Amino acid sequence: MVFFIIALMQLQLNNVLPVYFEEGRKNQSEIWGKNLTFTKGEYVKIVAPSGSGKTSLMHFLYGMRKDFSGSITYENKKINQLSAEELAVQRSKQTSIVFQDLRLFPEQTVEENLEIKRQLNPFHPADKIKQMAERLGIGNKLKSKARICSYGEQQRVSIIRSLLQPFDFLLLDEPFSHLDNENAQKAMELMLEESKLRNACIIFADLERVDYFPFTKLYHL
Amino acid sequence: MSPSYKTIKPLLLTGANPASRWFSYAGLGIGVLLLLASLQMFINIQGLMKKASIRKNGYDYISVTKIITNDNMGKDNRFTPAEIEELKSQSFVDDAAPLISNRFKVIASAGDAIPFSSDVFLEALDNNFIDTVPPNFKWTEGQIKVPIIFSSDFLEMYNVFAPSYGLPQMSQATASNVTISLYCEGKLGQEVFQANIVAFSDRVNSLLAPKEFIDWANKTLEGAEEKKATRVYLKTKDANNGELLQFLDSKQYRVNKDKTAFGRGKQILQGVVTALGLFGVLVVILALMLFSFYLQLVVARSKDNLQLLITLGYSPSWISKKVASQFIPVYVIVVIAALLITQIIQWAFHHFVMYDRPELQSMLHWSVFAVALLLIILSGFANFKLVKRIVGRLNN
Repeated sequence: MVFFIIALMQLQLNNVLPVYFEEGRKNQSEIWGKNLTFTKGEYVKIVAPSGSGKTSLMHFLYGMRKDFSGSITYENKKINQLSAEELAVQRSKQTSIVFQDLRLFPEQTVEENLEIKRQLNPFHPADKIKQMAERLGIGNKLKSKARICSYGEQQRVSIIRSLLQPFDFLLLDEPFSHLDNENAQKAMELMLEESKLRNACIIFADLERVDYFPFTKLYHL
Repeated sequence: MSPSYKTIKPLLLTGANPASRWFSYAGLGIGVLLLLASLQMFINIQGLMKKASIRKNGYDYISVTKIITNDNMGKDNRFTPAEIEELKSQSFVDDAAPLISNRFKVIASAGDAIPFSSDVFLEALDNNFIDTVPPNFKWTEGQIKVPIIFSSDFLEMYNVFAPSYGLPQMSQATASNVTISLYCEGKLGQEVFQANIVAFSDRVNSLLAPKEFIDWANKTLEGAEEKKATRVYLKTKDANNGELLQFLDSKQYRVNKDKTAFGRGKQILQGVVTALGLFGVLVVILALMLFSFYLQLVVARSKDNLQLLITLGYSPSWISKKVASQFIPVYVIVVIAALLITQIIQWAFHHFVMYDRPELQSMLHWSVFAVALLLIILSGFANFKLVKRIVGRLNN
C-alpha cells in the first residue's frame, strides 16, 4: 500500500528525446535518453544552456507537445496518451507551470488573470491574491491590464498564478529571466513555501545555477 | 466546484461583428415563422375541407359518371361490371355501387291532387350508399305500393318551376303525403303502381326505388337484366384525396362538381402551403448555417484566449458548454417570438378572415407548439456540437 502511494506521486521519464534532436544528444545530456524518476518533495534543478531543449522539455512535461520519443508518465499514465479532458484535470490538480513566455491574458487586469486561474480549482481564498501580489511587490498593479505591466511585473504575475492551484509538480521555465536578484529571491521563497504546503516537487530549468534554490537533484540538459 | 463563467466571459466572443449576428437571428426568425405559419395554415385547410364535404360515419360518398365527349357520344358510356370492380379494387376507394336504372318506360302522375304528369326515371342503389333509408324502403313481388326516395334537390327544382305551371309548391312533408301513380310499360307488358315518397336524400340526385323492384320490373316488363350503370357511387375516406382524383382523371371519369372543386382547391392550397413550409425549412437551415459561420468567426477571434484557458487547465467541454449555452436564450427568444407572431396571425385569420368559424381555432394547433419546441432543441443541439468541434480543434 505504501509502495502504491509513492508510485502515484512519481513523474517518470524513460528515454525521452525530442524527435528533432539527433540520437547523439543522448550522450551529452543527463536528461535526454535517460530513465529518471522525480518524486513529490524533491527539488530538481536543470541547468540548460540556450538551444538545449529546455522549453521543449517543460512543454513535454506539461503535455503541450507530443513530438518526442520515449515516454513521460504521471501516475503510470503516459502524458501523450491523455485525452483533452484528462489533461485539463491534470493541469488543474497536479501540474502547474511558469512559462518562459509568461502567457497572460493581455486585456485582463492582473487580478483577473490571477482569479481566472484561482477559481479553476481554488487552493487559496481570493484574498490570498492580494497578499501574494504585495509580497512580490506588485500589489499596486492588481487593477492594471496585464499588457501595460513591465516584463518583470508580468513574470511575477505568472509566478503567483502558478501558485493558486493544488499541484504535485511545479514546472519552472526560466521563471526569473526578467527579475532582478532581490525580486527573484522573494519569488523563490514564496514558491518554496507554497511547494512545502503541498509537499510538491519543483522542476526548475534555467540557463545557470541559482544559489537560492536548494535543489536536491541537479541535472545538465 | 465548477469555475465561474462570469470571470472568463470577457475572454470569449470578443470583437465579433454584431451585424452578422443580428442578420442570422433575423433569418432564423423568418424561417421559423414561415415554417410554423405554414404548418398552422396546412392544419386550417384540413379543418375547413373536412367540414365542406358531406361525411357519414367518417366516409365521403361521391357519384362518378363517364365524361361525354364528341368522340364517345352515341356509344355505350355506361360502367361495365369489370369497371366497377376496378374502381372497388383501388386502395383509396372503400366501396363502389352502381346506380341501376329502369329499362322500361315510366310515367308519373299525381292524380287529381296535382295535375301534373311526366316521364320519369327510376334508379336503384345499394342501401348502404343511401343517407336516409327508412325501414319501409322495401318491395316484394305483388306489392302495389312502391316506396321512393326523392332527391332534395329535385324537390327544390320542382318548387322553382311549379308556380310558372300553375302547380302548388310543396314542403317535404306534403310531398311525402302525395300518392303518385307510376305507369310502367315495357316490351313484355305494363303495370300501374302507387308510389309514395318515404324519404328525401341530400346525397343522391335521383328517384330511388328498391333494388328488388327495379330488377323485377326490368326483367318482367322489358325482359332485360340491367348490369351496366351510368353512374357509380363511391365510398371513400377522403373525396379530396389527390390519388383518387388523379385516378378518376386518368380514366376520364367525372365526379360530382362541388366536391371536386373543393378537392382541387384543397390540392392547390395544400401545394402552395407545403411549398411555403419547405421554403421555411430552407430558410431555417440557411440561417443556422449563417449562424455557424458567425460562430466560427467569433471563436476564431477569441482563439488565443480560448487556447490559453485550455493550457491553464480549463476543460474544453466545459468551455464548449458555456459558449454554446450563451446562444440558447437567443434561440428560445427567436422561436418564441416567431410562435407569438404565428399566434397573432392565426387569431387574425380566424377572427377577421374566417369570422370565427367553428371549424377553426383561434389558438395554434398543438403540433405547432411541438414543432417550435423541436426547433429549439435541434438548434441548441446543433449549436453545441458545432462549438464543441471548433473548441476541440484548439486543444493543446
